[in-house]
Amino acid sequence: MNWILLTPELTVLLAAALFLVLACLKPDPRRDYQLAVTMAAFAVAAATACATMSGDLFNHVYRVDLFSQVFKALLAIGFFLVIFLCDDFQGVAPSHHGEGYFLLAVCTLSMMMLASAVHLLAIVLALELSSYSLYILVFLRQEHRWGMITGLRYFLVGASASAIMLFGLAIIYGVTGAVHIDMLIQQLPAMMGHPMAVTGLLLTLAGFFFKLAVFPFHFWAPEAYQGAPNQVAAFIAAVSKVAAVAILLRMISMAQGNSDQLARGLIAMAVISMTVGNLAAIAQRDFKRLMAFSSVAHAGYLLLGMLCMTPAGYGAAMFYGAAVLIMKYTCFMVMTRVADDGRNLQIDELAGLHRRSPLLALALMMALFSLAGIPPTIGFVGKLMIFVAAMQKGYLVLVLVAMANVVVSLYYYLLVLKAAYLDEPAQVLPSISLTMPARLVAVAMIALIVGLGFYPTTLLDLVQAAVLRLP
Amino acid sequence: MSILTLLFYAIALLIVVATAMAVTRRNMVHAVLYLVLSFFGTAMLFYLLGAPFLAALEIIIYAGAIMVLFLFLIMMIRLKTLPGMFFPVGQLLPAILISAGFLVVSSVMVGRNPAGWAPMPAAQASPLAFGVYLFQTHWLAVEIASMLLLVALVGAYVLGRRVRGPSADAREEAP
Repeated sequence: MNWILLTPELTVLLAAALFLVLACLKPDPRRDYQLAVTMAAFAVAAATACATMSGDLFNHVYRVDLFSQVFKALLAIGFFLVIFLCDDFQGVAPSHHGEGYFLLAVCTLSMMMLASAVHLLAIVLALELSSYSLYILVFLRQEHRWGMITGLRYFLVGASASAIMLFGLAIIYGVTGAVHIDMLIQQLPAMMGHPMAVTGLLLTLAGFFFKLAVFPFHFWAPEAYQGAPNQVAAFIAAVSKVAAVAILLRMISMAQGNSDQLARGLIAMAVISMTVGNLAAIAQRDFKRLMAFSSVAHAGYLLLGMLCMTPAGYGAAMFYGAAVLIMKYTCFMVMTRVADDGRNLQIDELAGLHRRSPLLALALMMALFSLAGIPPTIGFVGKLMIFVAAMQKGYLVLVLVAMANVVVSLYYYLLVLKAAYLDEPAQVLPSISLTMPARLVAVAMIALIVGLGFYPTTLLDLVQAAVLRLP
Repeated sequence: MSILTLLFYAIALLIVVATAMAVTRRNMVHAVLYLVLSFFGTAMLFYLLGAPFLAALEIIIYAGAIMVLFLFLIMMIRLKTLPGMFFPVGQLLPAILISAGFLVVSSVMVGRNPAGWAPMPAAQASPLAFGVYLFQTHWLAVEIASMLLLVALVGAYVLGRRVRGPSADAREEAP
């Protein structure tokens, strides 16, 4: 077995092991933070260094190729960014910081495995591992009234989604007798006319829809975001979506595009997700709840790219997954910096942000413009690619619905922006001081959002090469 | 009717009765004990069908470990038995509807013409063969499962510390 292929996973595993030991020792938040950032930086380095490797591991259960490696690099970058945001880790009791880093590392590890696993057994176990570490991370919230109830509710919805997914997997196994993706790819496309196979595949996708917060499985999102510590909410909103995109692409590509029934099911979910997410977001006053409903809407856009079942659609969805990582992270970064005592931020509290910290206000503006799809930002390019892919398949009505949704979403994003730039605060608040590295990350995020909006070619070529590895 | 068939029906009857007792008992300890009995019956059934390893696992893990844990919990928490109906009416009605639907579907399936059905080939594996297969072809899955248990352990630890109440946390943070 070629262990070098596994370097990114092993680095993250090492980080997890380190923090398991540190959690047992006397807590020291300063030391824990510095170690965590170092380990996460190593993980990013390992993931980028291994980006072009390929091979099969663990008796063909684990596939390392460009598709999985690009996702692993994105996950590692997201892991690093979220860890970087934990410099004071408010919202989690200081005695639990070690456990927090441990769980973040385990969750990243399991999502990396999710991107690479090609055997249903490994996929299910990796998905469960990532879900369980997130449940406990939500529970770590210092204020009990948040962590306890939302953690439990998140767990219950997640467990139901897992049960539905296992039922679907049982049906797929019953129809095909195969559990390896390579075998399923040979058998499933011919069977897609069979109602059992379509039902099985849709039920299986339910478990992954839960991660992405697609319509019938989105009920956990607002409460989990609101109840989780701010950094954990950033992790759920930005990083876990990337893993969900990876596994959904792998599962949906199994049908090889010749299933109208599956496409119809996905179209219904995509349209309802967009509409419900955007309409519900208008009424929100809490920043994290707003972001949660905006996540539901973005899950709809992502699904729109995937349901085209063409390489262009898959590539667009993958590009948009990377865009969501950057945009959502930037929003949560601003929120975490403004709510520096770990409280839940109300949108009114953003008032006067452009005077308190011009850099954060600019980052927020760019991220919101990008989420709303205004050029020249990465969000605009992503949405454009998705709509182009859908138009190639002839889904004109679907694109029109999505565009109407984009207009609706612009309204509530601009409301947030109005609070940050035009509203005057009730009393004068002190300016927000940022450390040098925090400034650098904020500038880097702005540069990425705008830069990839102007020159998306590099990333686009990369994701299009990556999705060609899908069958 | 062979002796094996007789044994099968005897054990099946035992399981049905024990499970029925388990779901109807008001006293939680009694319910758990009946459930243990039902697990023993299931284990015997597995043994009869040619899966001794599965039978041993059923007794060791389900009857032995999990149910004893349940007993510990019930004895330590001392649940009060609530007066009145076990289920509220609002839950009873959907439950009855769903089970009626299940009854209809399963009786239709049982009543179908069995011509053209093939019995499934019995899969029999010795513990050794099973273990070799599991740890050779699926050892990644075994490793992930072990990580899952580790996370569960950390979670139980964090949860357990939190349940002591906010005063306990406040005291920790004071120094």
